[in-house]
Amino acid sequence: MVLAGVSLLPGFTVIGIVLGGIYALAAIGLVLIYRVSGVLNFAHGAVAMFSTFVAYQVSVKSGLPGWLGLIAAIAVGIGIGFIIERFTMRPLTGRPALTKVVVTIGWLLVLQTLAGRIWGQNAYHSPVRLVSKSGFRLIGTSVVVGYDQLTTVIVAVVLALATAAVLRFTTLGASMRAVADDPESARLWGISVNRVTAASWMVGSAMAAIAGVLITPLINFDTFSLTLVVIDAFTAALIGRLTSLPYAVVGAGLLGLAQTYPRAFFNTSGVSEAVTFGLLLIALAVLFRPGARKLRMA
Amino acid sequence: MTADARVVRWTAVGVGIALGVLIPAFLSNFLRSLASDAAIAGLIVLSLVVLTGLVGQISFCQYSFAAIGAFTVGSLVAGHHWEFWLALLVGVCFAAAVGVLVAIPALRLSGLFLAILTIGVALFFDRFLLAPGTWDSFSGGTSSWRPGRPSFFGIGLRGEYAFYLFVFGILLVACLLVWNLRTGKTGRVLRAVRESEVAASTVGLNLTAWKLTAFGISAALAGLAGGLSAVRVGSASAGSYDFLHSVIIAAIATVVGVGAITSAPVGGMFLLFVPEIMRAWTPFSTQWFPFVTGILLIFQLVYAPDGAVVDSERRIMRRLHPPAPPPTADDTATPERVLARTST
Repeated sequence: MVLAGVSLLPGFTVIGIVLGGIYALAAIGLVLIYRVSGVLNFAHGAVAMFSTFVAYQVSVKSGLPGWLGLIAAIAVGIGIGFIIERFTMRPLTGRPALTKVVVTIGWLLVLQTLAGRIWGQNAYHSPVRLVSKSGFRLIGTSVVVGYDQLTTVIVAVVLALATAAVLRFTTLGASMRAVADDPESARLWGISVNRVTAASWMVGSAMAAIAGVLITPLINFDTFSLTLVVIDAFTAALIGRLTSLPYAVVGAGLLGLAQTYPRAFFNTSGVSEAVTFGLLLIALAVLFRPGARKLRMA
Repeated sequence: MTADARVVRWTAVGVGIALGVLIPAFLSNFLRSLASDAAIAGLIVLSLVVLTGLVGQISFCQYSFAAIGAFTVGSLVAGHHWEFWLALLVGVCFAAAVGVLVAIPALRLSGLFLAILTIGVALFFDRFLLAPGTWDSFSGGTSSWRPGRPSFFGIGLRGEYAFYLFVFGILLVACLLVWNLRTGKTGRVLRAVRESEVAASTVGLNLTAWKLTAFGISAALAGLAGGLSAVRVGSASAGSYDFLHSVIIAAIATVVGVGAITSAPVGGMFLLFVPEIMRAWTPFSTQWFPFVTGILLIFQLVYAPDGAVVDSERRIMRRLHPPAPPPTADDTATPERVLARTST
């Protein structure tokens, strides 16, 4: 059994990296929202889930092309992000962080139930196809990489780099970093804190939407399992101490591999979840110790 | 509190208890079983009153603690033919122990990260520990445990009304214990910890021990609820103790307010009877219930941040008893006075 497991490893590495790329996107959105608005968005997975089901509606049920579904998902993600920020977060300015977290839990329930009522509780295996289903053999190995898997990784890398570039080189990025560091001083420098915060929610939620659509070929998705992607995003983000985007991306890659490899050896369901929980505990216990080194955002 | 307000409060509590005993006597067996479930859910809300209301820690894994109670009772009673009471005791202690275990990493985490941790715990239970194949001698595997109803000092609890009175009594006792905890020294200490950990530690309080205690008590209450629920339903299956249940009960506890003990029965009734009301009198099915809860939660946090029950209670109290004048200059802060002030 062990030998059989080992022979599976190269193929599982590919799956792990793809999964890691998706988690990275979700984690980037999460960190962006957390750093700029100070809100830990527990509804992040629910936003991803809802947008993904919109993409499913557009490109699988209505038969329109995959990219149209993706665009619809991104639009819905941005919309939900805007609504959450504008109507339920902005009025809570100055209130404890925990209150805002509980409000995002309210959103989780709302989005989760709404999606369940619209699309049902069944698990779907009908991926939103962005590229053809075929793949190619990795040179020198027997591992087949699907074009959709390759696309996922490329999209994840490009978006991660693009986020870093936006944060480094554009005015909006600089304002975001300024608000993240100190909203009061940012306001004194003439930055519209509200607008920047809203932008972070919209961009972050769009990231969640993309992550959700990209994960559809990999899993049987239902409203609940996609909502729970938030815990994977949290784990990855916590490895970057909820601050550093590069570390979050590395953490996401680690998490993707760590979740995939045990499946080559164990048949028990839930091993991946146990691994996630272990990593989460380690990240919380080790990285959040008092006096831990501060990290930069990007 | 003036004598007036106290009389009003205790009269209200007495009337509430009397109604709680009498009304189910006239209900159908189905509604009686719902009432039992409401009392059990009330225990879980009470566990959040301890954890969130007293210590200010949030938890999204109370149903995982309940699962420990339920599966301990299930496996010991149905699998090993233990006496229910002993199994319940073991289950409550086991839940408390796990609660303390969860609290250990929580000690160094602030509220936000603790919330993530509890979600991790809930999913760990859902997807791994209670999943078939992981620990079947505890979770029952693919078949669920079927523990029978116990008897209480020779009185059989098979009848729905008898069982309801039994769990209602347990809820009342638990509320009384938590009330005692709140008004006693422990309550003052925990509130001090909640308001300012630094200040609490400078007066020599052992934060670690108190937080662990609070977690232990809270998990024990949830475990008790789980054990009772297992014999109420007559089976224990993982689906009834999943993450979504924990989230919904946390949301309800927040909506009714974790600052008052009365929230426990109110929250329990909310969880069980609002879906029934929705089914009977609105076009929405019970499956919309989490949606309604979510909307209420969002609106309530924006407009009535302390919770509906606490808010209305405070409004009634203010009418009966206008707030005390602010302290004057000669009202020097002696330790006794500070403690007296924080306890009101």
